[in-house]
Amino acid sequence: MTTLTPTRWVALLPAAALLASTSAVQAQEPIRIGWLSSLTGALSSAAIAENQGVQFAVDEINKAGGINGRKLELITRDTGGEPTKAVNFAQQLAFQEKVHFIIGPVNSGESLATVPIVAKAGLPNLVIGTVDELTNPKKYPRAFRLINTNRQWIDAANDYALNVLKRRKVAVIGDTSGYGTSSAKTATELLAKAGVTPVYSVLIDANKTDLTDELNKAQAAGADVIMPWSAATGLLARLINTRGDMGWDVPIVGHSAMMAPALRKLLNKPEYWNNAFAAGYQSTTYDAKGKLPVGTQALMDKMRGKLGSGEIDYMLWWVALGYDTVKVVEHAIRQAGGTDPAAIQKALENTKGLRGVYATYSWGPDDRNGFPDVGIVMNVASSFKDGCYKAAPR
Amino acid sequence: MLAALIAGLATGALYAAAALVYNVMFSTSKVLSVTTGHTAMLGGVFGAWFLQTWNIPVPIALAGSVAVGALFGLITDLVAIRRVLARSDEHLWLLSTLALATMVQQAVALWWGTEPKPFPRLIPQGFSSGLADQKYWLPVALAAVLAIGLELFYRRTLYGKLFLAMSEDSFAARARGIPTDRIRALSYVLAGAMGGLAGFAAGQLTFAYFALGLTLTLNGFIALAVGGLGSNVGALAGGAALGILSSVATYYLGGEYQQTISVGLLMLVLLLKPEGLFGARAGRVV
Amino acid sequence: MSVSLRRQVALVAAGCALATVPWWAGDMYQLHLAQLIGAYWVLIAGLNLVVGFSGQLSVGHVGLLAIGAYTFAILAGTHGLHPALATACAGGVGALCGLLLGLPSLRLPGFYFAMATLAFALIVSEIILAQSDLTGGGVGLAVPGFPAPFDTPQGTYWLILLVAAVVTWLTWNVARFMWGRGLIAIRDSVVTAQAAGVPVFRAKLIVFVFSGLTAGVAGSLFGSLQSYVTPDTFIFELGLFFFVCIIIGGRGGILGPLVGTSILTALPELVAPLAKLGTFFYGLLLLVVVLLVPEGIGRLFELALERLRPRKVESAPVRPDLERLSAAIRKGQR
Repeated sequence: MTTLTPTRWVALLPAAALLASTSAVQAQEPIRIGWLSSLTGALSSAAIAENQGVQFAVDEINKAGGINGRKLELITRDTGGEPTKAVNFAQQLAFQEKVHFIIGPVNSGESLATVPIVAKAGLPNLVIGTVDELTNPKKYPRAFRLINTNRQWIDAANDYALNVLKRRKVAVIGDTSGYGTSSAKTATELLAKAGVTPVYSVLIDANKTDLTDELNKAQAAGADVIMPWSAATGLLARLINTRGDMGWDVPIVGHSAMMAPALRKLLNKPEYWNNAFAAGYQSTTYDAKGKLPVGTQALMDKMRGKLGSGEIDYMLWWVALGYDTVKVVEHAIRQAGGTDPAAIQKALENTKGLRGVYATYSWGPDDRNGFPDVGIVMNVASSFKDGCYKAAPR
Repeated sequence: MLAALIAGLATGALYAAAALVYNVMFSTSKVLSVTTGHTAMLGGVFGAWFLQTWNIPVPIALAGSVAVGALFGLITDLVAIRRVLARSDEHLWLLSTLALATMVQQAVALWWGTEPKPFPRLIPQGFSSGLADQKYWLPVALAAVLAIGLELFYRRTLYGKLFLAMSEDSFAARARGIPTDRIRALSYVLAGAMGGLAGFAAGQLTFAYFALGLTLTLNGFIALAVGGLGSNVGALAGGAALGILSSVATYYLGGEYQQTISVGLLMLVLLLKPEGLFGARAGRVV
Repeated sequence: MSVSLRRQVALVAAGCALATVPWWAGDMYQLHLAQLIGAYWVLIAGLNLVVGFSGQLSVGHVGLLAIGAYTFAILAGTHGLHPALATACAGGVGALCGLLLGLPSLRLPGFYFAMATLAFALIVSEIILAQSDLTGGGVGLAVPGFPAPFDTPQGTYWLILLVAAVVTWLTWNVARFMWGRGLIAIRDSVVTAQAAGVPVFRAKLIVFVFSGLTAGVAGSLFGSLQSYVTPDTFIFELGLFFFVCIIIGGRGGILGPLVGTSILTALPELVAPLAKLGTFFYGLLLLVVVLLVPEGIGRLFELALERLRPRKVESAPVRPDLERLSAAIRKGQR
């Protein structure tokens, strides 16, 4: 080995400096997370709440020093509920901003368009839309879903209506939007699997001002439970109002939007909301003693300042979901030892029983839906208090 | 079935009111403004705001909504119509009113939110009244009052006659010393006020919702085209026809093809009688 | 109208610049924007003949775009037809729908026609949702891409560029020959055009059908670009956008709407950080342009050109040979 003469030392110094600086830069290089959120437009209330969760998690992790010394950088894009904009922003985040992860979009319509694009770019995508077609281990290997699927909601509601309330004559109500038509179709299919054919099935325009006809027809068909699969608050409010005005005491069991706090003001009488049950989550349900699960309570206490004074008037699970997406990113990076997409994919594929606030997630090499079936609990629609609900009686 | 008819009549009355607003705006400016539906949307949204957030008594909130509608009508004229008419180019007023309508819709969405919000009871009434519920007969009563009011306005008051003069021939009117710009502004103020009133009365039917504007612009136009441009009786008839047909068709065929049926009606009437049911066949100046 | 040498050089230079975009575009995202502009331009070039030249205010062309995209997705995706054939079919279906829409509507006056096209776009949306077995309903359809050599991003860009160039050339030909003058005559004064012998309804219908064809083809390109179509993609605002591109670009020209399209497609990307206020500013911009520069951006260019290089107006005074003239008159009087 030749000795290092002073001249050789000097020659080596720049190289050493370069090497040191790049690894230092590498160590310092922030982890970029792209966040596609429909802060305006459809589902904006959900998106805004999820955004709070995401931002809080990012701040919390950064305050604790980041992940392996690397800070998180959140890049938000408002897609306005439009798939074309979502596609454009997904492309921008992937290729111009060169993010390492993409969270969202919130809307299923937008997600359907962006998931293939993010998959083509080879980036890990945390999916928070419920439409079943959004995940596919073969086509989109790096798309992992945190939220439940539509099927899980519908299964839970069907189970409650058929097996707990013991009803057989179902009236399925959807709206004429993309989400409403596909959900109503899936609901009918799943009912058929349980051996039940709906006695009345209708798709209603979400802006239709009067539902007396539809409910009269349902009543005439002998329905003993109404199952709405629409996320349109106006439509659901009119449904509940018409049922109350008619004095028809039939239970309503359906989409989680049935228990949206925004409905309270739209109802003619508060008691109209009785005898209605919606698909909710174990993580945001009060137990028999009125206490929330430990994780949820902890998050609420941590975020109390950010959530505003007084009781919160939106669904807490949105915030919890947003929070969890960033925590899943953190978990994945720690498991994979970096942000290499293939390693992240492997890390998430092998994740079982990851405890989050919103749910406990498990994925697999052939399974990209991480939400457990037991995570869904039917709630009493009118029992909203401070973001969470009471469980429906069994 | 009766419920379908009554509900259809009520919605149709709202469309008829929008058609009347179109008529008033058209009479002095020969412009069909895209902002027509938005005057009603503003009436509904501001009415709900006044009544619920500020707890203002109903008559004053009503006056407030009407004032907001009137103000918006004035803004439409000053911003979107005045300069554009001077150039006498057919596309431009469509575009400028469309731009203004988009701006208003987005501004309201940002302020009011994208979810429909409730519109409180105007007259104390229980909720089990079924078909006699005020949300049905308020819009119908309003449409009737507006139509009768307009007829009286045109026939009995000087300003009404000025409107008629301008709609006949605006050059001749100007030659007779009528300040056409000011009269047009006045007609837009009146139209906006009518729109605001309509939105306020129909609030319980539609909820206070930002996206109502464009829907009402299109449906009000269909009512107008079916009934005949320039005719108030036609506006009422067109609105009623559209509302009832939509409602009955939905009752029998389901809500999937609602838009198709409404437009089908429009196309049918336009093919058979292009000037509408009560419209006058206009001679074209060559 | 002959094309001067200077213009030809400019055209060739522009052509070269456009063809080499994949190499000098900043990144994949900007290339994607260029592809989007190209796909939009295929539709807008055809629509330009309808709106810009013959003055028919069609706000609902997004319905034809949707028909094109879904036809392509169904034929090439579900039925496995070759994408080129599927594109041709999409164009054909678009043309057919243009015919069906135009026949009853083109006789109507301006605002009525606009509302009819608006209603058409809403109907298309409704039918797509209702026929969910065919179109996937709310969930939508995946759209296949084009086969090699067009399956890379660069390849897709060149395909779109090729189609756009062909369509632009076609519309340019229509514009500069007698057809174009006839259409402008229809736009500016229908009665005079009729009196001069222009077959008004036939001309309007033919350009409308042509615009349906280009919309169908644009739908195929747009669909494969998005790789997934849902009914939410084809909202009224998109139809409005096409219409606005032409008005802002300037009617009666080809370059103006092209510039308008490029600017308006890229604008939301520039306005992105403003998040919530995006659509509001879009409306505001539209209003400002309509009030201040109604002839469009094309006119701004012309004004700037005039300022920089004023056209020399050659005055050619008429100087009659009075001697010969009076001699001829005297001869005629005899």
